Amino acid sequence: MLASISRRGILAIYAVIIIVPITVVLFGSFKSTQELFEGPFSLPQSLAPDNFAEVIGGQDLGSSFLNSVIVTGISVPVTLFIASLAGYAVARLRGFASWAIFGFLVLGMAIPAQANMVPLYVLFGRIGLLDNLTGLIVANVVSTLPIAVFILGGFMRTLPKELYEACSIDGTGPWRTYVSIALPLSAPSIAAAAIFLFVIHWNELLYPLLFIQSPGNRTLPLALLSFQGEFQTNYPLLFAGVILASLPVVVAYVFLQRYFVAGITAGASKG
Amino acid sequence: MSTHTGTAAKRKAPDSTTEAASKKRRSPTRVNPALYLFPLPAVAIIAFFLVMPTLQAFQYAVTDWNGFSAAFNYVGVDNFVRAFTKDSLFTNALTNNLKFVLLVVIAQTVFSLLLALLLVKNSRGNVVLRALFFFPTILSSVSVAFIWKFIYDPNFGLANSALGAIGLEGLQGSYLGNNSQALYWVAVTQVWFHAGQMMVVYIAGLQAIPRELYEAAEMDGANKWQQFKSITWPFVAPATSIVVAYTTVQSFKAFDLILGIAGNPPKGSLDILSTRIYSTFANSEFGYAAAQSIIFMGMIALVTWLQRRLLRLTPKGE
Amino acid sequence: MSQISRRQAMAVLGALGFGATAAACAGPGGSTAPGGATGPAAPATGAITGRVSFAHWRGEDKAVFDELIKRFAAKNSGVEVVQDISTSNDYNAQGLQKVRGAAIGDSFATFRGAQFNNFSEAGIYTELKNSKAVGNYQKGLLAAGQSGDSQLGLPYQVVFPMPMANTDLFDKAGAELAPKDWDAFLAMCEKLASSGVVPISWPGGDVGNGGQLFNCMIANNAPADDMCAQIEQGKLKCTDDWFIKMLNQYKDLIPYLQPNATGTAVEPAQNLFSQGKAAMLATGSYHIAAVRNLGAAFPIELVFPNTSTDGNATFEGVYNATFILGVNSASKNQAAAAAWIDFLSEPENAGYYANQTAQHVSVKDVEYTNADLKRLSPWLDKKTALAARFQFQNLDVRNAVEASATAVISGSSPEQAAEAAQKIVDERL
Repeated sequence: MLASISRRGILAIYAVIIIVPITVVLFGSFKSTQELFEGPFSLPQSLAPDNFAEVIGGQDLGSSFLNSVIVTGISVPVTLFIASLAGYAVARLRGFASWAIFGFLVLGMAIPAQANMVPLYVLFGRIGLLDNLTGLIVANVVSTLPIAVFILGGFMRTLPKELYEACSIDGTGPWRTYVSIALPLSAPSIAAAAIFLFVIHWNELLYPLLFIQSPGNRTLPLALLSFQGEFQTNYPLLFAGVILASLPVVVAYVFLQRYFVAGITAGASKG
Repeated sequence: MSTHTGTAAKRKAPDSTTEAASKKRRSPTRVNPALYLFPLPAVAIIAFFLVMPTLQAFQYAVTDWNGFSAAFNYVGVDNFVRAFTKDSLFTNALTNNLKFVLLVVIAQTVFSLLLALLLVKNSRGNVVLRALFFFPTILSSVSVAFIWKFIYDPNFGLANSALGAIGLEGLQGSYLGNNSQALYWVAVTQVWFHAGQMMVVYIAGLQAIPRELYEAAEMDGANKWQQFKSITWPFVAPATSIVVAYTTVQSFKAFDLILGIAGNPPKGSLDILSTRIYSTFANSEFGYAAAQSIIFMGMIALVTWLQRRLLRLTPKGE
Repeated sequence: MSQISRRQAMAVLGALGFGATAAACAGPGGSTAPGGATGPAAPATGAITGRVSFAHWRGEDKAVFDELIKRFAAKNSGVEVVQDISTSNDYNAQGLQKVRGAAIGDSFATFRGAQFNNFSEAGIYTELKNSKAVGNYQKGLLAAGQSGDSQLGLPYQVVFPMPMANTDLFDKAGAELAPKDWDAFLAMCEKLASSGVVPISWPGGDVGNGGQLFNCMIANNAPADDMCAQIEQGKLKCTDDWFIKMLNQYKDLIPYLQPNATGTAVEPAQNLFSQGKAAMLATGSYHIAAVRNLGAAFPIELVFPNTSTDGNATFEGVYNATFILGVNSASKNQAAAAAWIDFLSEPENAGYYANQTAQHVSVKDVEYTNADLKRLSPWLDKKTALAARFQFQNLDVRNAVEASATAVISGSSPEQAAEAAQKIVDERL
């Protein structure tokens, strides 16, 4: 079967194009520059984590890693919380109010970050959000709130209204309904949104690049970008940095693969 | 905005006409006013940090403010005129960006659909391959940029080493160093980065197509290509529009990838709108940068609108 | 709560949104950083204590500065200096935004030229005319830190942005190290090439480093010493004959560069040189320490690509005085920051810095003990031109002009490349 051979051929070639570079990066992170240049495909001569020690200690990627954990660890739940509140209201309100609130919040998806970065930079300067992690958290929340509202609000609207209304007839307040009905029932959609936000926030580069001045406040992507300065196109070090920066996401991907695909695809389909 | 009507709602007597009720402003069950407090944080944040700065961009765009001095002049539409008529760096970035978007949209759509068609069956092997192809999506743009920078390195990089190893020295090139090709090589990287993600969207679309349609077509003697044209393509149209729209926005915003792969600032042949805006900003021309970002926003809107129109022209069943 | 009607709630919501919007709609103008910079006055005096941030871009000098900081702290108890290091590209593009407001950079360094000028225009430097440090410098090298009558900054390093040469390979090929004119230079390249090595390793894929060669190529071709400033002002043009001649000389170099030179990054270019595969590395003396780290054990000299065609070259090389130290006018700890700059400028400490990093300094009475520095010291007394590229004020213009050379090497005709560059310059007049 010619078709079947060419099918296998295409899949095999593309698999190679993905596996080989990633393997080279993995091996390369244990090599010296010379070793890498002399044989990019060869196995590393030793597994001494010199490059990792250098990027974590010498280049201070360790503290960037911690910054990334802090920023992502706060901005993801905060975004989810605020977005789920809004989504819940949108699902329960009706008519113009629901439409207007949803429209207002979701419209933000159409505004690219580069469109308002100059005024945002000035605003952040005036209210003291430049060069600190709080500013990055705020920026992350703002930039992903619209899409989170879209995902969560969209999902909550598909829940049968009777569920909410049964509760309000019982005299339960909207807060209780939100906590005990809306949140648990939306768990799949919240999980998908969480993963989507996690990947976006973890990999965010523009805001740190704009707002962070002190090296001590860098997040991982910015620290990585800063690696390739005038004197440091040092590939083995860059590769060690790449591995370190990707590790949490990759580990999560291995264990939560299905949710990952669902979450990121949900974000994409709705974005 | 009440979405569910019909039988389910009708069973509940007092709610019988939910949809009509909202129009007549006669709520059967009164909405608890406290509900209006729930969207408040989101609305405040969006108003203050997103809507306001975006509106302010217009205010900045008509000035020559440098970002640090107290004084500035209103220059009217000069910044816009300058961008389109007197700044070849900007028009260069605009052309590059449009070229890049077009390239990536076409290549990524075709390629991800191809992968999806090859992997649509839920066999064990296919599931593994899907996971593998999806993998690059979760990496950060900077990481992807570094990986490909090394692939493209003309002296020690993977691409030329691999070509050398299989005796194709004639095809070796300098990739990013070749100004007439550099943008294409970055487009390849972008497709590698995100094709797996779009493949998943397509697989979902393909799996929703009823198998009977193909069986019927087969009985009518339609060949594979005819089946694709008359069944697959029309049925995945919704997926296609998602893929195209998302890819468009993604490739307009390839900022991180370009900065990572080409350095800051990127050279002319790799400059796109977002990196150009950033350079203008870094050059302390805040007013001009704001004007450029408004044009950028307009471009995205325009291209998206054009695509909507074009996609509506594609056959959807008929 | 339940008394609020839907309308009222909507109104509150709307008002909040618009109120927030209007309230902060302050618009352009005014300072973006609280306590913004003011203007050149001498740094405040006071106790030398507290925390001083030292912002710069020399990541590879971190350990050396750390040692100097230790010595500084030993002399002044209670003072702490922290290095805030960005990479040179970032620092060049964003240093001003970073340092203004003094979140970092109580003391800092700038690149000579555009960045120094922007910093002085934004009032970030303080006046160092009467500082203790200034007397330690060689008079002739202080110009890069002057603005009008003020001595705002102190150019610390002297570097030679000229190709470095592996003299072993030169000896083996019988090539001449100091060509008198362009033909001699090409003949030298030819000899190297026929001995089986790449004559010149050039990182054309890296704008910052690839552009250093431009300094050499333009020095003897230009009709004036401030040619780049004049290009930027429109007095000289890239389409002038002398510029085209220079681009044609770039074209002569093509066969002597490593293959795919315009795509080569710095590290691979350094590797070609340090592994002995290339005889020259066309960046500058500031890369000596880096190539030594990569294992280069051969003696290193500098070579000037002398572009003169009549043998009457005005210059024998190029140099640059850069890393212009200053004290931040917005700093809360100017006394300690100024003391740190004074400390760095003492001959003993400057000497330590120089010998450890293999960089010459512009401080007087420094004893060079590092073998590479000793070997290159005669260049300090040669007739060298101040590196031209740093005359550009606008980075877009600089990149465009330098890109014309890269374009020629990747195959464009000199005339076309010159025209493309001049177009961008004209738009920014």
